[in-house]
Amino acid sequence: MVSKRFVLKRLLMLFPVLFGVATVVFAILHLSPGDPAVVIAGERASQEFVNQVRADLGLDDPLWQQYVRFLGEVATFDFGQSYQVNRGVAVSQILTDRLPITIELALLGQFAGLLFGLPLGILSAVKQDTWTDHLSRVGALSGISIPIYWSGPLLILLFAQFLGVLPTSGRIGSAYFVEPVTGLILVDTLLAGNLAAFQSAVIHLLLPVVVLGIYQMALLSRMMRSSMVEVIRQDYMRTARAKGQGSKITVMKHGLRNAFIPVITVIGIQFGSLLGGAVLTETVFEINGIGTLLVDAINRSDYPVVQGTVLVFAVLYTLVNLGVDLTYSVLDPRIEQ
Amino acid sequence: MSTETQTGTVDRGIVERLRASPFLSQLLSNRLAITGIVLILGVVLIAIYARITYDLSDLLATQFGTNPSEAAPSSEYLFGTDGQARDIFPRVLYGAWYAVLYGTVTVIASTFLGVGLGIVAAYYGDLTDNVIMRTMDVLLSFPSLLLALALVTIFPEELGLWRAVGALTLVYTPRFARVVRGAALKVLEDEYTEATKALGATDPRLLIRHVLPNCLAPITVQSTLNYGLAIIDIAALSFLGFGASPGEPTWGMMLSNGVEFGLFSGAWWWSFFPGLLLALTVLGFNLLGDGMRDALDPRMRETVD
Repeated sequence: MVSKRFVLKRLLMLFPVLFGVATVVFAILHLSPGDPAVVIAGERASQEFVNQVRADLGLDDPLWQQYVRFLGEVATFDFGQSYQVNRGVAVSQILTDRLPITIELALLGQFAGLLFGLPLGILSAVKQDTWTDHLSRVGALSGISIPIYWSGPLLILLFAQFLGVLPTSGRIGSAYFVEPVTGLILVDTLLAGNLAAFQSAVIHLLLPVVVLGIYQMALLSRMMRSSMVEVIRQDYMRTARAKGQGSKITVMKHGLRNAFIPVITVIGIQFGSLLGGAVLTETVFEINGIGTLLVDAINRSDYPVVQGTVLVFAVLYTLVNLGVDLTYSVLDPRIEQ
Repeated sequence: MSTETQTGTVDRGIVERLRASPFLSQLLSNRLAITGIVLILGVVLIAIYARITYDLSDLLATQFGTNPSEAAPSSEYLFGTDGQARDIFPRVLYGAWYAVLYGTVTVIASTFLGVGLGIVAAYYGDLTDNVIMRTMDVLLSFPSLLLALALVTIFPEELGLWRAVGALTLVYTPRFARVVRGAALKVLEDEYTEATKALGATDPRLLIRHVLPNCLAPITVQSTLNYGLAIIDIAALSFLGFGASPGEPTWGMMLSNGVEFGLFSGAWWWSFFPGLLLALTVLGFNLLGDGMRDALDPRMRETVD
C-alpha cells in the first residue's frame, strides 16, 4: 500500500537528521568543561603524561579534523573505548550488552500502557461527560503528573518493604544465571528452558513495568479519548448508526480505525518520554540498562560512553518515528502527499 | 451574550470585560481548571511563605542533637525527620520556592527564545527559516530528558541547579519555536499584516506589535503545559544527581536522598512528602493547561454551548 518512493524519500531524510544529531553530540562534548585527557591519565598524573594522552587522543588536532574523524567513527559505529565505566572495553560492546535491557523494559512498559490505556480512552470517549469519563480523565491527568521517581519508590515501599511480596531491584534473582542470547531476559530464560528463572524475571520486572506503564497508560488514554471524541462526531458515524448498526459495532468498526491514526503518531512522539522514563525507572530499580549507563558515564566523565549512549538513544528515537510515519501512511494513504 | 459584548462601551469595568471574554468564562466554568488554579496558587503561597519565614542555612545544616534522626511524622515533626535529623516539613515547603523559581525561569527563558526564533523563521522565510527550523528539528530528535542530561554537562558545576535550568531551556525552546512559527505564518497571511506593512511599519514593530499579540493564545497554552513539565524535569535531573547540591532542600534532591537512604530502613516519609507536593504542583499546571486548551479550541466550545 505504501509506495516505494515514499519509503525511499523518508529513508533519505534520515541522513541529514542523523548528521545533525551527530554534530550536536560532538558540540556538547567539546563544550563540556572537563578534559578527557585528565580523566584518562588520572587526577594525580604528571603534566607530561596528560599532554602525552592528549596527543594520543588527537585532542591537539584542529577542531575540524577532530570533527571529521568523529563523523567517521559514528558512521562505522566505533566510539572508542570506555575510560571509566568499563575501562578498556569497546563502547559498542557495552552498548550491545546493555541496550536490549532498556529495550525490553521500554517495550513492556509500552505494551502495558497500550493494553490498559486504549480501552480506558475508548470507554471515556463513548461515555463522554459521565462520571466514568471524569474519573478516567482525572486519573489520566494524575498519571502524567506523578513522577516515576516517586511512584517507583512508593510501590517498592508497599510491595517490597511492607508486604514483602516483590523484589526491589535488578532483573532476576541472583541465584539464576542465564546465558545471554538475545539480551532480553524474558526471552533468554525461556530459550534456556529455565522456568524458575523465567518466573523470577517476571517477578523482578513487574514493578518497573507497572511504573513505566502507568505513565504510558495515562498518556495514551488521553490521546485515545480526544481522538475518539472527534471521530464519534463525524458524519459517517451518524450515517452508520442511521443505517441501523448497533452503536457498539459502529464504534468498533468505523471509529477505532480512524481514531487510532493520531494515536499512532503520539506513540512515536512519546517514545522519547518512554526512553526518558526508562532511564528513571532503571535508576530507581537498579537495572543495568543504557539509562543507568548514561548517568554513570556522565558522573564519571566517561566521554566515549556518553557520546555512544546519547547517539544510540537519538537514533532509536528517530527510527521509531520513521516506523510510525510509515505505519501511518499504511493506515491513511492520504499522508503520502 | 455576543450582542451585549458589542454594545458595551469603552469604560466597562475590568471585571465586566473579563466576564465577557469567552475564553475566560469558558475556563472559569471548568471545575478541573479551577482546581488547577487553586493548586498552583497554593504552591505559590507556600513558596513565598517559606522563602520569607525560613532561613536557608538553618534548613541545610544537620540537626543531630536537636532533633531525633529519621523520626516518623508526629505532631512535633509533621513530615518526620531525615537521616541528618533535619525536620522535613519546612524543607518540603522551601522546596516549593525552588520549584516555582527555577520552573518559572525555565519556562520564561524557553518561551522567549522559542518565540523569537519562531517569529523570525516565519517572517523571513527561505534560508533563515530553514536554518532555524532544521536546527530545531535536530534538537527534537533527541528524547528530551536524555538531551537535558547531556546538556547539563556543558555548564560548570558551580552553577548548581541553574545547570538544569540552562539545559532544559535549550530542550524546550524548539517546541515553542514550532508552535509560534505555525501561528505566526497564519497571522502573516492575514490582510491586516499587509496593511500594516503598507503603512510603513518597520519589521520589529510589525512583529512585536502586530504578529506577536495574535499568537499569544497558543504560546500561553504551551507555556502552562510546559510549566508542569519543567518542574518535573528539574526535579528529575536533581534526582539523577545533576543540579541541586547535596543537602539543598529541593524536592528532587530530597526524593533522591529519601530513596537512597530512607527506603530500606522504612523511612517512607522521607521521600513521600516531597514527592506528594511535587505531584500536586505538576497536576495543578496540567489541569490548568488542559482547561486552557479546551477553552481555546473552538470545536470544544461548540459542544458545550
